Amino acid sequence: MTRTPQFGPGTSVVAENRRRQMDPSHKLVTLRHVTDDDIVLLLGHRAIGARYPSVHPPIIEQQEPACPMRRLVKPTEGARNGDRVRYIQFADSMYNAPCQPYQRTYAEMYRFRAIDPGTLSGRQIVECRERDLEQYCRLLIETEMFDPTLVSLRGATVHGHSLRLCENGMMFDALQRCILTKDGVVQYVKDQIGIPLDRVVEVGKPLDSDWLKEHSTIFHSLVGTALREDKEYIEYLQRIHSLRTKYGFMPTEV
Amino acid sequence: MRMLGPDTTKRLLDRIVTVPGIRRILLNGQNLPLVVPYGPARGEKNPHSMRKTIKVADSDIDLHVQVGTITLEVEDRTIIEKIRSVSTAFFVDFSCYVQEGRFMKSQPSLVDYAKYGPKADPTMIGLVDPKRKEQPSVIWYSEEQACGWEI
Repeated sequence: MTRTPQFGPGTSVVAENRRRQMDPSHKLVTLRHVTDDDIVLLLGHRAIGARYPSVHPPIIEQQEPACPMRRLVKPTEGARNGDRVRYIQFADSMYNAPCQPYQRTYAEMYRFRAIDPGTLSGRQIVECRERDLEQYCRLLIETEMFDPTLVSLRGATVHGHSLRLCENGMMFDALQRCILTKDGVVQYVKDQIGIPLDRVVEVGKPLDSDWLKEHSTIFHSLVGTALREDKEYIEYLQRIHSLRTKYGFMPTEV
Repeated sequence: MRMLGPDTTKRLLDRIVTVPGIRRILLNGQNLPLVVPYGPARGEKNPHSMRKTIKVADSDIDLHVQVGTITLEVEDRTIIEKIRSVSTAFFVDFSCYVQEGRFMKSQPSLVDYAKYGPKADPTMIGLVDPKRKEQPSVIWYSEEQACGWEI
């Protein structure tokens, strides 16, 4: 029996956007380009051009035990080479950012392999092998999951997702990792943990507010789509809440 | 509503201080640390274009925050309407609202007495820690200076 995943409930545009980001068969629209070196700079884990430090020899050189699961699951490029586990962390504004922490984790779990996401209310961290991380970052920064003003790379001191925006539309950042230039382009002047970069990294122009409202994955009753407008989503949430309250982690429909 | 940059804060304060009858002004907002407070870069310098010294009515004010709320202590209720008209005329690109209420201490509490003693400056109570070395800015604004503004 073939199964068609639903990805999520809801009839609103927010629900549709969430499904689109989660569906790995859907190709996300690329809105900007960053180079490999730009990604290395933003992450701040290694110097440009430096080799990938490893924590164990390449798998091919190791004596792997005879395990059917290891034969079944092919290692990722980073795991095959014994790369370190490194991270990227995003903070997403509540004001119609194109992605948000829970959505980010769902989407990444559907689209990426060998990741360990950590989901919090205003930020989401994902850990994986360094080589894989740099590949995944490309999708997370270049596509419609990112907006230069409302999504921000923040390894530490992430505060700002729930605050009102600054005058120029940027999300508050106590470390001011990125700035909006007079040309209207957002430039990263610090890496994700707040260390000034040797050169700026441009991540493009802010997206239009109407476009953001149409492509947001966050319900917001004041500036976007209200959750209460999506009856199907409410029904789903109430059902989950009811089952969880009555049956804990072993829900049984009666 | 938006958080204000230093230049906008200065322009707004320039207009607010012209309103006679304001006793104290408290600028509230998100802290802009001098050094990175957390993470692997902890202790590194944190250059931030929003952390500036602005000049309001010939007084220098060091902004340590990105201003989001301005709390004013006024002498009577009629001044609130003047503040409201100044604010609504000032903010044209985005909205603002003016609330009436008691948002700062008007007299020292028992805890203040226990912490700071009987000699604590009552004008500072509820604004800043009286033991803080940095003194608040004092803005003097004369009637002659105020006459140029239409309130």
